[in-house]
Amino acid sequence: MKIARYEDMDDMSKDMMREIGSIGTGNAATALSGILGVDVEMSLPKVEILGYNEVVEYLGDPEELISGVLVQMSGNVNGIMLFVMKLDFIDEVSKLMLHKSINDYSEMGEMEISAATEVGNIIISSYVLSLSKLADIEISLSVPGFAINMLGAIMTVPMAELGYESDKIMMISGKCVMGQKNVESNLLMLPDIESLNYLMDRLVTSI
Amino acid sequence: MNKEIKVGIADMKIARREGVLITYALGSCVGISLYDPGIKLGALIHIMLPEAGNQDASNVFKFADTGIRETLRKMALFGGVKSRYQCKIAGGAKMFEMMGGNGIGNIGARNSQNVENVLRAEGIRILRRDVGANYARTMLLDVSNGTVKIRTAGHPEITL
Repeated sequence: MKIARYEDMDDMSKDMMREIGSIGTGNAATALSGILGVDVEMSLPKVEILGYNEVVEYLGDPEELISGVLVQMSGNVNGIMLFVMKLDFIDEVSKLMLHKSINDYSEMGEMEISAATEVGNIIISSYVLSLSKLADIEISLSVPGFAINMLGAIMTVPMAELGYESDKIMMISGKCVMGQKNVESNLLMLPDIESLNYLMDRLVTSI
Repeated sequence: MNKEIKVGIADMKIARREGVLITYALGSCVGISLYDPGIKLGALIHIMLPEAGNQDASNVFKFADTGIRETLRKMALFGGVKSRYQCKIAGGAKMFEMMGGNGIGNIGARNSQNVENVLRAEGIRILRRDVGANYARTMLLDVSNGTVKIRTAGHPEITL
């Protein structure tokens, strides 16, 4: 089945995206646990198709400061992977990796930024790797970009990128539990429509 | 402070005489305020992309060109006089510094450039602008007096 818009996805396609999402986040959690040395769990991902303003509302207050790691996908699948972290997540990562507590984004120096970027990058890469293995496709990833900014502004980056194709965004998102602590982060996969069709095609034939 | 009217992403609102039009977290997006002091008529647009191109514009306010034109048309219906419009723009920042420099990094610059082009073509002069850099801006237009304020994280609020 070919779709022209995200909102045309039926329940079966969404289920399929959720399934591969859960395999992806599972691998990402294992990889993260490896570098942080604590148990990391990721919740079962949700697949949501939301309008621009709904996406921001779904994630929080538009003016709230968050940090994000962004990676572009190219190859068989084109689109954006975005990992958003709230302050408690950054604090936990920084404590575990650098033994330094972060109570405000302004306290982040080069080391903390690079640690946070790396964590995001590892989560994104292991997610994409498991997806490409599963569907037997090739996806190349760009060098990660990092930003600390208002939530609304960070979220408009993928929206603008896909803006010519759709008024809605498909978001595959999962939450993260690090050690015993529930810290807030979301992994978002935003493939363009053509890639989404390709991906669903591949998965139907390979499973 | 009187009533706040929220302008979403790819959205536009018009108000007259009272109320504050507010749009949150302009990143690479651009906010355009148009105000006719003669009749205290104000509009605030939040565009996301530079031009509609061949798109069947299902949402005209997503794009700078179609969004500005539609706003001007609506303002004229409310009795706005184009030669009186005070225009201010904000946003067009660069959110992510990406290596390799493909489209993602400079969408903000393209947005503000095209907003300026469209406004110039419409014969509207931009009084003030706060564009570029790498941080998000929240833009407020007080319709009772035409004051435009910009709120950012880590910088003091400014009156544009």
